[in-house]
Amino acid sequence: MITLENNALQFSFPEVHEDATCSIAFQRTLRIPDDNRAYPLPAGLGHFPQFHVDDFAAKLPKAWIQHGGTLLPMWQSEALWIDFGTWGADYPCAVKIAAGKINAVSGQQWTPELQRDPQDYVVIPTQPWLDGFNVAKGLIRQFVAMPLGQGYSAEEQLTGTAEHGGIQILVYPMKATRWEQIKRARAAKSFEINSDIMFCRSAFNEDADMSLAPGGLMRQEIYDDNYGLDAWDTDNCARCFVHLLNSNQFHAVTDHSPPTKPITPAEYKQAGVPWFDYYADGAKAIDGAAPLRGLKSVAAKIIEKVGKPMAQNDPIDITSSKVLHAPQGQTVREGRF
Amino acid sequence: MTFGSYIKASRLARYETDRTYSVRQVAARIGVEPAYLSKIERDVVPPPSEATIVALSDQLDVDADVLLAMAGKVSKELQAVIRKRPALFAKVLRELRDVPDGAVLEVVRLVRDGDW
Repeated sequence: MITLENNALQFSFPEVHEDATCSIAFQRTLRIPDDNRAYPLPAGLGHFPQFHVDDFAAKLPKAWIQHGGTLLPMWQSEALWIDFGTWGADYPCAVKIAAGKINAVSGQQWTPELQRDPQDYVVIPTQPWLDGFNVAKGLIRQFVAMPLGQGYSAEEQLTGTAEHGGIQILVYPMKATRWEQIKRARAAKSFEINSDIMFCRSAFNEDADMSLAPGGLMRQEIYDDNYGLDAWDTDNCARCFVHLLNSNQFHAVTDHSPPTKPITPAEYKQAGVPWFDYYADGAKAIDGAAPLRGLKSVAAKIIEKVGKPMAQNDPIDITSSKVLHAPQGQTVREGRF
Repeated sequence: MTFGSYIKASRLARYETDRTYSVRQVAARIGVEPAYLSKIERDVVPPPSEATIVALSDQLDVDADVLLAMAGKVSKELQAVIRKRPALFAKVLRELRDVPDGAVLEVVRLVRDGDW
């Protein structure tokens, strides 16, 4: 089942195991320059507010009510990253993520099944975040909000239609028997090393539907499933359709003010907000998805459409980034600056 | 189980694998004297303030609402929720008093999945 708590989707599978839980939230972030340089990971600037679509049924299109799920506001050209968490037990889950029903990991059209070759899902908590479309090994193109119907979205570029928009999520928990084996192994190990485990949580601590389009390039690996397909309890899953509204629509529908305008690169730099590189030692990265490799970024599409470069797209010189290593549990890159 | 014995059991469970969960170190991290935490664990003194209970729940990774309930307290957040619609929540709680856990869970607002 899925609940919405503190703007995060909380997935739990009590019918599988009492530890079988995970959370998925959407972080506001800096839109990195779309200039074909590969940037490190920008920081999270707080969760997007998220609401049940049913709470605003009278003001939403019928199709959205049919989809169910939630809604969240994005400014045009605003970027997001997806923040995967666990509730303490680190129960592994396989998560499929799509934008406009285009799988962000494999580039294929949406299917509910897990596919191993090519892998079309991420495994949490191995994968702490997903910032964009998997365009090459170790490289993603950032998720950037653009109006649906103008040809920017991955969905439109790959299917030629602007039908779905939004973000689709499907979570499969690990089989309980497999989890119990892992728990026993972990308990034995923690007894041997006698408390050397301190999980490192960061101290930081428009009128059309919106869709996610491919933005600038970023260094991020998507990790191989080292448990194997057999580990996942495919008899149990939970899924959610997250609808994207632009800020004007959001205000009209919910009467809530949208979040403040996205931070600019200059403000990001001035505030001294760090950049990050993440390494999960021992985890193997999967290859980029062939269908996603050919996507044109928002900046490239703008030049194609209007013959002018994208505004506010100057390169950023980054002198250093904080290197984060995956601990034995999980790391969270987030905070407010 | 009493509030104190629950705290002690939770702390000792962590202490088995992590020696930073001694009375002294946990007390330091939640901002109380070790002697006071020891008395809490032995139920010699009444349960501490809401702030201390919340700090303990954070340290021991247990649900703050559960700890507060064991201490006979209701968090300020829940009080505010109840104060908004006191008659309704009193009725809801009475209705749910003897209902099985599974049925109570169904009352929790779920994100509805539809057709897509």
